[in-house]
Amino acid sequence: MLTLVIGGAASGKSAFAESLCLRAPLPRTYLATMQVWDAECAARVAKHRAMRAEKQFDTVECPLHLDRLTLPRRGTVLLEDLGNLAANELYDPDGAGENAAAAILHGIENIAQQCENLILVSNEVFSGGADYAGDTDRYLRTLAAVNNAAAARADAVVRVVCGIPVYYKGSER
Amino acid sequence: MLFITGPLYSGKRTYAQKFGGRQIYEVQTRAADAANLAVLADELAACDVVTATEVGGGVVPIDPADRAAREAAGRLACLLAARADCVVQMFCGLPTVLKGELPEC
Repeated sequence: MLTLVIGGAASGKSAFAESLCLRAPLPRTYLATMQVWDAECAARVAKHRAMRAEKQFDTVECPLHLDRLTLPRRGTVLLEDLGNLAANELYDPDGAGENAAAAILHGIENIAQQCENLILVSNEVFSGGADYAGDTDRYLRTLAAVNNAAAARADAVVRVVCGIPVYYKGSER
Repeated sequence: MLFITGPLYSGKRTYAQKFGGRQIYEVQTRAADAANLAVLADELAACDVVTATEVGGGVVPIDPADRAAREAAGRLACLLAARADCVVQMFCGLPTVLKGELPEC
């Protein structure tokens, strides 16, 4: 089963996605995508690690090349988040560059084949304006392509609004 | 408490005013300077109607203080929604109930 959980900044999307994982069968793997650049990143990673503590997640770092990843075991996988992956694949010298969206979608398919339940967390960053150029526009187009294709492929699509799940596709189970 | 969220100028206040009681608007502006968001949420939840504008749906701001304010506003909205009996999201003046049941107008 593939579930896409999407929400804005501090919308409660991470906590909701984790709650879905806790209802799904063990083992649980957390695919971490953030490249830690500074103290703010480190604080965010620490916050999310604390949220996962005692929830029996094994963390696998995967900031790039999701399409090449082999999971140690099946079960439930939480991938967080597609916004980071898009930035990494677009801008990291080792990333897929202009092929970022295709590489990430390939990666999602690769992971989906290796587990029972894949829960993707993504970012709603499209409601703050409509006049972007250059790298920002490229990033928005890439993430939108990933979100839309993942939503088409997913069994359930959930938008989290101030901590409340709103199902756009599928239903809670 | 009825919590009304939604984008800028989506009709939150106009809708809130149908309900009467003690009301407070645009509380997302209070989040950034709050020493404790849970305490602030408890205080705000004592009102009958609380509105907040959604500010977390845009491109991540470059300025760290803007980023922190946006995070705080989002966290506050989650805390308010958890305390609310009813949560409404406005869109183009149209209400959608996300939680609970609307109080009597």
